Amino acid sequence: MTQNTTAKTTSAVRSAFRGYYFKPNILKAPYKIEQREFGYMQFGQVGMVRHLSFNSMKELTATIMKEVPSDIYCSNAYYHFPTYPMQEKQWLGADLIFDIDGKDLHLPCVSSHSYFVCANCGHASSAPDEKKEYACPLCSCKQCDSASIPCAKCIDGSKKEVKRLVELLTSDLGMQQGDIQVYFSGNNGFHIHINDSAYSRLDPQARSDLVSYISGTGLMAESLGVRKGNAQNLLLIKFPKSGIAYGWRGRIADKLKINDSSMIKLKHVVEQKGGYTPFKLDVDRMAHDLGVRIDPQVTTDVHRIFRMPGTLNSRSGLVKIKCDDLNSFDPFVEACLLGDNKVSVRVKTLVKLKLKNKSFNISKESAELPAYAAVYLICKRLAEAN
Amino acid sequence: MSSIRMGTGDLAKYPFLNEAGEYLRESGFGWEELERPDMKDVIDRAVERVEVDVGGNIYDKLDRYEIEILTFLVSLIMVKSIGTESVLRKFALAEARRAEKFLTEDLKRQNEMQKRSLFAKIFDDLFKLKIEISEDGRLLKVKVTDYLARSSHFHEQEWKLINRLVHKGYVYLDADETVRLVRNELSALIYEKIKTMTLPILPQAIKVKADGLRTKLAPRYEYGVTAVIDYPPCVKHALEVMAKGENLPHSARVMLATYMLAIGKPVDEIVLIYENAPDFNEKITRYQVEHLAGMKGSRTKYSVPSCDKLRIENLCFATAECDGIINPIQFGRKRK
Repeated sequence: MTQNTTAKTTSAVRSAFRGYYFKPNILKAPYKIEQREFGYMQFGQVGMVRHLSFNSMKELTATIMKEVPSDIYCSNAYYHFPTYPMQEKQWLGADLIFDIDGKDLHLPCVSSHSYFVCANCGHASSAPDEKKEYACPLCSCKQCDSASIPCAKCIDGSKKEVKRLVELLTSDLGMQQGDIQVYFSGNNGFHIHINDSAYSRLDPQARSDLVSYISGTGLMAESLGVRKGNAQNLLLIKFPKSGIAYGWRGRIADKLKINDSSMIKLKHVVEQKGGYTPFKLDVDRMAHDLGVRIDPQVTTDVHRIFRMPGTLNSRSGLVKIKCDDLNSFDPFVEACLLGDNKVSVRVKTLVKLKLKNKSFNISKESAELPAYAAVYLICKRLAEAN
Repeated sequence: MSSIRMGTGDLAKYPFLNEAGEYLRESGFGWEELERPDMKDVIDRAVERVEVDVGGNIYDKLDRYEIEILTFLVSLIMVKSIGTESVLRKFALAEARRAEKFLTEDLKRQNEMQKRSLFAKIFDDLFKLKIEISEDGRLLKVKVTDYLARSSHFHEQEWKLINRLVHKGYVYLDADETVRLVRNELSALIYEKIKTMTLPILPQAIKVKADGLRTKLAPRYEYGVTAVIDYPPCVKHALEVMAKGENLPHSARVMLATYMLAIGKPVDEIVLIYENAPDFNEKITRYQVEHLAGMKGSRTKYSVPSCDKLRIENLCFATAECDGIINPIQFGRKRK
């Protein structure tokens, strides 16, 4: 890409973003805005501007209108001094957050809508099924980035994870449905914010324990009442005092078709599986399958600045937006909020997409597209301004 | 404070409750009375209590309630006047474990009403921890967040939330587990009580005994700055924590012992490093060090954990001098 094209491309996206941020009342003030740390990324610049603080939405909106950032972040943490260096901020607490990313689900549809974009010349090609070593057909560069246009199946896959997470949070952890806010991440996943102050004081260790619980890792056979005896192959089966009716114990018990009164049946199950170790491996596998695929880093990090609700994601041009009804939510309609003035682009590869209920099947190199579709392809690095 | 009154038996078991102080005030007790000849028994018991506690055991006499309430008070004064950090920490931990033992027994034995009053008094008043009785009355339950805030600092896998019965926002526990959950807070409470105490002019009878205890319980092994000058910063940090008599996580203790073994320090000397630890028990420490050395148990000689592993466990305090090393044992050897 020539310097001129890069500048033109950046300017096209920036102008579409400006159009969005200049609309009235698109952002809502986060709770305790004055105690939050804010940060943003600028178009065409590396690195993040952070450790910012705003006392009101007016101040924040003014900065956004002036800078038109590519991405805007707000801490999940509250601080006494949000603008100070990290060690001096004086942490007061942090909202509990979860990140479910479609790409972590490894769905079979992914390869059909994935692309390689050469790190050197920007050439785009569809990604083959097998993981062959990449070499750019134009410049022979061996490094590439991957781009993906999530399909409806990807979004459904992520929605299923969100539902399983919500089910775990309400049935096991006793959270109220109204305290769980689900947002589309703005690209290929969902962010879940918890409005329950009891969780906001938890340190990273406690949050990490919570992550293990939600993702189903570390369940001991002993907690289902299966123990190794002293002699080889000896099994001790005794249910814990608190029983196996609920939570993870209940989930695995259902799978094994046992309950609080079927100790002998459990013994048979363990023996059938071949003893303690094979049983333990089976429990690990079941717990992993039943667990929710969340990003552990996001939940355990209590100093993270996280994409702010209502803002645009520069990897797609879609908005991080609240999903009031997850079942009917269609990100390609409800989160696609950029304008529809025509933008002339050079599309790098054959591409199909559907935005605002309009299908685009682009086979020609040059195309005039509505801004929301042009920006989407540019953000995916599959197009550049003409 | 809840309105249920504790009996003297309860106050003797849990003398750190504010009611114990009130009880003494109401019974007209004053400092000057400690000079009375009939108080000799109390002072002797207090000396015994401090010695037993600091020795890593639990003082569990409970034959005369009023005397034991006084004994606790006098032992606090003694520990304060000894003024050694390691003595204070060991005493606080042992007293916490003493209360833990009584609490567990009480929770198992008492009826529902008595249990509720005990919870209100100790868990709720002191630690803001609400404990409820399970629906079928057999178990206790605590809120998930209250559980996590405490249990996540325990290392055993069985304390991980996933290995607990969790339902509708509660974690179900038995009496022993519930009490174990607050051990650290109990110990911190007693520690703080002594730290913030202002000493009266000590009656001679107590001063003499406290002076004697100070000499007797003084740490036998002090670390000079020169002794640790060439150790890697992670080891230095662990030694400093130990020298101060503060608690060091298990993983840091393993790192310290494997490092010392690797540089050829004899087991006897290594055991002494841990002498100031609040929970020091020579027999156990010796066994553990010998185990790491491959002399006991599985006969596997443990190596020093890698820098990567220490970083993950937050035990790394790397300086520029650590550049290029992947294990603390290389510190100083690769330095140019």
